[in-house]
Amino acid sequence: MTREEANRLLQPYIDGELDPAKTLELEAHLAENPSLRAACERLREMSAAIRDKADYYAAPAWLEARVRAAIPSGPANGSARPAWWRWLSPAGSFAVAADWLRPAASFAAVALVTWVVALGTMRPGEDDRITQEVLASHVRATLASRFYDVASSDQHTVKPWLSARLPFSPPVADLSASGFELVGGRLDYIGAQPVAVLVYKRRAHLIDVFVWPVEAQKTGQKLAHDGFNIERFARSGMSFWLVSDLNRVELDDFARLLAAAT
Amino acid sequence: MLATDSVLLHETDPVPLRDTDPAPLPKPLSEPKRRFEQLVLPHFDAAYNLARWLTRNDHDAQDVVQEAVLRAFRFFDGLRGEARPWLLSIVRNTFITWLQNNRPADTVGFEDGFVELIPSDEDGPDVLAARNFDRKMLNEAIAALPLQFREALILRELEDLSYKDIARITDVPIGTVMSRLARARRLLAESLGATPNISGTQVHK
Repeated sequence: MTREEANRLLQPYIDGELDPAKTLELEAHLAENPSLRAACERLREMSAAIRDKADYYAAPAWLEARVRAAIPSGPANGSARPAWWRWLSPAGSFAVAADWLRPAASFAAVALVTWVVALGTMRPGEDDRITQEVLASHVRATLASRFYDVASSDQHTVKPWLSARLPFSPPVADLSASGFELVGGRLDYIGAQPVAVLVYKRRAHLIDVFVWPVEAQKTGQKLAHDGFNIERFARSGMSFWLVSDLNRVELDDFARLLAAAT
Repeated sequence: MLATDSVLLHETDPVPLRDTDPAPLPKPLSEPKRRFEQLVLPHFDAAYNLARWLTRNDHDAQDVVQEAVLRAFRFFDGLRGEARPWLLSIVRNTFITWLQNNRPADTVGFEDGFVELIPSDEDGPDVLAARNFDRKMLNEAIAALPLQFREALILRELEDLSYKDIARITDVPIGTVMSRLARARRLLAESLGATPNISGTQVHK
């Protein structure tokens, strides 16, 4: 890697947009090159200063009230197709984005989690903690080979078992037709509450799906953490967190199937 | 508990949101309006923040946001994936239309293609560490950035969006997002007296 290339990669690096291979390569350069390190540090400081000090303008309450009132109660008229229609196309032109732009570097992901939490609308720190907790639960289950408390591929067995032990009834989807086999369920304790963990299997990979009731709407999100892929979304009043060593693409497929089935 | 909370996956989600919803619940509000309020209006502040940074004053930001949110509701059927970048793309489009109608002079050069070469000086003087930036000066310096750099910077640093989302919202390739961000940070550093040594490469829009 030339100095020029390293310079060029600093920006995607601090933005968490560099893939793991390039990240490692760049970090090797950073380790042995003080001036590159200093440049990287200045970039980070610039980014941090903006996040910390730039004004974030909240909307005046009266404006939101006015806009709310102006939204018609009748059916939305969605017949026209505006310029942003391309948001709909399943794989936009950006599917061809260079590999190194995929934000999978675990280092970068940690930074990203921190920023997301700092800027999120939810209680700061909570998401970060839950990420750690679901990951720890997944790893613990793997280390101890204790993957489930109830072993069954039958959703009508797993769901009542969990419902009987929890203050809520988690949706349990049968996705075996799509190649994601339900193997069981277990209980765990995440974010200071008992939660359901549904365990699915894809070839030799286990996928833990953590489910608990959620009140507020949360944004869908994908993270990579220490080699595990983590994905989360909210559906039917429940918060879903998926943790697996399965690759990102198949975990995405699984998340879509699960969301559609619950 | 409501049974129609949304799923918010990424934009490749082929599952039409509305088709996967369970049976309708009793309707105190119309279904689309209620769903819009649940899904999109939580991002009202983000919409306002972007509009405020684009227009640089409260009054115009209010007009742009009101128009954008009402437009978003008209095209609500088109929402797939995450609501926040979707809404922000509508805010941005509404702003461009507003700009063309109200400040046509400001649009010159904005949508035009440009080629830029960002110099790659290795060890420029580190005049002032960014952490020491004065809050007021920093805000003024950001507000003074040319539009295309300002919007990329705001979407990246204040909305924490990915290059991919920024590219979609601002309707340019990812490479252009990268060069605009590099340029925005460099201009900012220069105007504040620091040198972040951001280098770039030749970029075509």
